[in-house]
Amino acid sequence: MTVTDPGTLPALFPATPPLLTLGEPRLLAAAPPAVPSRDRAWLVHAATDVRLLGRGGAAFPVARKLASVPLGARVLVNASEGEPASFKDRALMRHSPDLVVAGIRLVAAALGSGRPAVVAVEDEPSAQALAQAAGRAGAELDVRLTRHGFVGGEIGALVNGMEGRAPRPDGRRVLPTERGLAGRPTFASNVETFAQLALLSALGPAGYAAVGPAHEPGTSLTTVLGATPVNGVVEVPHGTALRDLVGHDDGPVLVGGYHGTWAVPTGARVSRVELRERAIGWGAGVLAVLPADTCPVAEVARVTDWLAEASARQCGPCVFGLRAVADDVQALAQARPVDLERLQARVGMVRGRGACHHPTGATGFVASALTVFAEDVARHRAGHHCGRADLGVLPTTHTTGGVR
Amino acid sequence: MTRLAVDWTRCDGHGLCARLLSESITLDEWGFPILTDAPVDEDAARTAVSVCPALALRIEHPARTA
Ligand code: SF4
Ligand code: SF4
Repeated sequence: MTVTDPGTLPALFPATPPLLTLGEPRLLAAAPPAVPSRDRAWLVHAATDVRLLGRGGAAFPVARKLASVPLGARVLVNASEGEPASFKDRALMRHSPDLVVAGIRLVAAALGSGRPAVVAVEDEPSAQALAQAAGRAGAELDVRLTRHGFVGGEIGALVNGMEGRAPRPDGRRVLPTERGLAGRPTFASNVETFAQLALLSALGPAGYAAVGPAHEPGTSLTTVLGATPVNGVVEVPHGTALRDLVGHDDGPVLVGGYHGTWAVPTGARVSRVELRERAIGWGAGVLAVLPADTCPVAEVARVTDWLAEASARQCGPCVFGLRAVADDVQALAQARPVDLERLQARVGMVRGRGACHHPTGATGFVASALTVFAEDVARHRAGHHCGRADLGVLPTTHTTGGVR
Repeated sequence: MTRLAVDWTRCDGHGLCARLLSESITLDEWGFPILTDAPVDEDAARTAVSVCPALALRIEHPARTA
């Protein structure tokens, strides 16, 4: 594993966690490769060849998104990283801003975007790094500091927030490819997607596919935390055994983040496609393992409460349902009697009933935790608190930094 | 085939729709409608849409994906 010195930052902002690479660093390479410009057809074909999936939570095929916007479309880079357990986007921007900027320029030029690409970012050091990289490249980039939090990082909410409306998802979902920035068709994707496209242009499809399995070549950034052999942001080739990243695969692992899934991922590898077949979403690329001396029920309860608070307070089932679920899990954590069947029914009831993915993602987190930690849950429910404290392994304070 | 959909940002749980379409809409414990996947009668669906005080109901046409 290669360890890269993340450098130091003003104390106001959280330091970049250790940067690590399994195999040859690409995204985290010391110097960015030359990124030739390409036309849209080239990018669509190349992204199809390497089956590139978007690096936000939804893992949508990039080629299809590129092909679905008209020429002249706007470009929106989602670098808001509202997921408190994730640091990979900030690590990428702080460490490899030139690669990110090269990817943004590549896409904007291929789409014949008339206006500068917009980057929505919460982390000031990342914003500064991108602005400086844009200066070095002589590129025009519209870097905007946003403060919209977890749900506000949803593309529709992001656009609303940047255009002076409430930073909340729309009631009727409109695809940004149809109506995004300034009501124009917009290619919007997670910041890592743009860096991947830069690599794809630099390496060509064959070079890009020299790493990872044929059905999903390349590398991904992941944030690894908790009782794992290493903690930090890791660039990992697809196909790597999860065991090699987190130390085990025969015990509970949180995959994806707080919209993700608790699983015992026996034999699983880093692959969005393979994990999806196991009903596990790669999501924001977080991998977490709880140490034996923290109470898993209390950790899950604290995150669930955070998720209920993160609701954008628009949709009844999300607002009231997630609150009720969070209160139930909190009661469990305190070994108070809880009607587990009712809790499970509530979890099922909230799923899918909101304007955005939040209720589905949040209840997926809770439902999988109740399954994976069933023994601990049963003991707590029977009034036997395990006696362990909540050590706060799963972060719930927003680590973006800066003054809020 | 008619299906109803709710705009959750608008619905404030009046429950009128469930009274009108009791075979296909029930309410959850917080008073918000639970729509079943079963297609509903076109006329009844239109009435429900027109009666919802929050203008939260709409008739859903086959979903596009992307
Ligand atoms: S589903 Fe929840 S988080 Fe999403 S818009 Fe509605 S209230 Fe907000
Ligand atoms: S009538 Fe309208 S506002 Fe009332 S519960 Fe039904 S959908 Fe919601």
